[in-house]
Amino acid sequence: MRNKEVPGGTRDLLPDEVAVKRQMENKAGNLFRSYGYEEVITPTFEFLEVVETGTGGSIREELFLFMDREGGILSLRPEMTVSIARLAATHLQDAGFPQRLFYMTNVFRHVQPHLAQYREFWQIGIELLGAAGVYADAEVISIAINTLREIGLENFKVSLNHIGIVNGLLDSSGLSADEKEHMRHLIEEKDLVELSALLEKAAIDEGLKEALASLPVLHGGLEVLERLPELGKNATASQAAQDLMKVYDLLKISGLSDHVVVDMGVLRGLDYYTGMVFEGYSPDLGYGLLGGGRYDNLMGKFGLPLPATGFAMGMDRLALVLKQRETEPERLLVGGRNYSAVTAKSNELRGHGFIVETDVEGLSKAELEQKITANPTRTLIYVD
Amino acid sequence: MAEYLTIALSKGTLLKPTLRLFQAVGLPIEGVEPESRNMVFTFDNETIKYIMCRPTDVPVYVEQGAADLGIVGKDVIVEQGKDVFEMVDLKYGYCRFVVAGPAVMQGAGLKDLNYKRVATKFPVMAERFFRSQGLQVEIIKLHGNVELAPLTGIADVIVDLVSTGATLRENNLVEMVKIMDSTTRLVSNQVAYRTKHDKIQPLIETIQKTVKGGIGQ
Repeated sequence: MRNKEVPGGTRDLLPDEVAVKRQMENKAGNLFRSYGYEEVITPTFEFLEVVETGTGGSIREELFLFMDREGGILSLRPEMTVSIARLAATHLQDAGFPQRLFYMTNVFRHVQPHLAQYREFWQIGIELLGAAGVYADAEVISIAINTLREIGLENFKVSLNHIGIVNGLLDSSGLSADEKEHMRHLIEEKDLVELSALLEKAAIDEGLKEALASLPVLHGGLEVLERLPELGKNATASQAAQDLMKVYDLLKISGLSDHVVVDMGVLRGLDYYTGMVFEGYSPDLGYGLLGGGRYDNLMGKFGLPLPATGFAMGMDRLALVLKQRETEPERLLVGGRNYSAVTAKSNELRGHGFIVETDVEGLSKAELEQKITANPTRTLIYVD
Repeated sequence: MAEYLTIALSKGTLLKPTLRLFQAVGLPIEGVEPESRNMVFTFDNETIKYIMCRPTDVPVYVEQGAADLGIVGKDVIVEQGKDVFEMVDLKYGYCRFVVAGPAVMQGAGLKDLNYKRVATKFPVMAERFFRSQGLQVEIIKLHGNVELAPLTGIADVIVDLVSTGATLRENNLVEMVKIMDSTTRLVSNQVAYRTKHDKIQPLIETIQKTVKGGIGQ
């Protein structure tokens, strides 16, 4: 008998957990709407071709795949950005741009389940479509920070980077595409041991070697850029560094710089990022809370070549670091012998904003009082 | 309250050289003895905590953030595949993963191992190695005394960690193929590296310099 099991990495959310989740969704949703973002819903599964067009196939082993009756391969969505790019390219090409969209949904990845990592998990996020440049980047990052604040997190940091820095440096190295990919991976994973072993053997310029070796550990304010003299010799990388500085300044103007650090090791796993990238962390959890960035080539793959940027945050992880829960309205239990009087009283109290349970067991006053003693979160209203 | 830096230490043979290294880089080690039964050491003045772990548990403590940093062998990191940042090669605790078999197999190559039975304490690493070579083997997971497996006939060869090779020789086994070298590493939790960067990065740089200078070997 397996009738009590749930599949690995999935879970039931009990009332208290759902209350926290809905509370976060309401706050985030209201905030997104106040910036002009509108909610969309896409299918829970997509054709594999759609998912792989977007993600480049690097997450194939994390996909839940199945077939439809016509032999098409379907994938539960592993994230939302690709689906939204497809949706916008199909349905919104005549709408004015920039377009501001948001979502709150479950996504699915076949990962090794552990604390804060599930196979079905919940994401909220925004996508700002059709806007290039630092102001769009700054808007999205500001909303990410304000969302965490609004939800009730205090002690968090958002790490910023620009993919153009590492890409510019690697492109000037003369390494093969495979070698570059491997090196990007080592920088992102902060595998300093393997990275320095690889750099030692590589036939590239000494200054460049030093710059690549230092990327994973460059972390702090804008001054970390000064520790990369190589930037001056590389047009792509120096343009990227200027964008990064500008975004940092814009966030400072918005009064958000307390939460922002520069981290040259943040590259994001997904292949579609092209510019500014960022991740959010809380010291109370050993895993990241949010991630996002600019993906200017993704929409074009669906036939609408437009720049875009966005982020997603993991609600399951946020719930783990969220300490206080909002107080709910007072809970009442209304009972009595006269059904119509009890119903009228219950509805009246609901109208005043109370949460009202009406007795459905036909209990006497004494029995109702016993119930309250057993569960004192409610107050008894007895209608004589 | 001051913020502590928590380091997970591998008990056993790695502890002595680790403490030598810590002393050299100015980390407190007073009272931290290999024989001690204490599992947590707290140094309030230095705001440092050590957690004493079985080596195989160190990546778990670090990945989950119970420890910010950890000292653990590359062998354990590879076998467990946890998501931790690998910051410094500490150079001590050298050993190597090898495929070894009975003396009669001396001179046999990898291709002779297809469809053989392989006994090991490191099934993940062994499986990955053979698969990457295009070979299929039957992995037999054992928890100790792997050298016994070929003698008793439950496996044809073994994959094990070897430092000097003495144990292999005592059991009439020969090293056939080296899979990889392993030394001790300093690993970091991915978030702690960022949220405690002010404490962790300078420590990493000091340790890197000290290791280059040859202390702790």
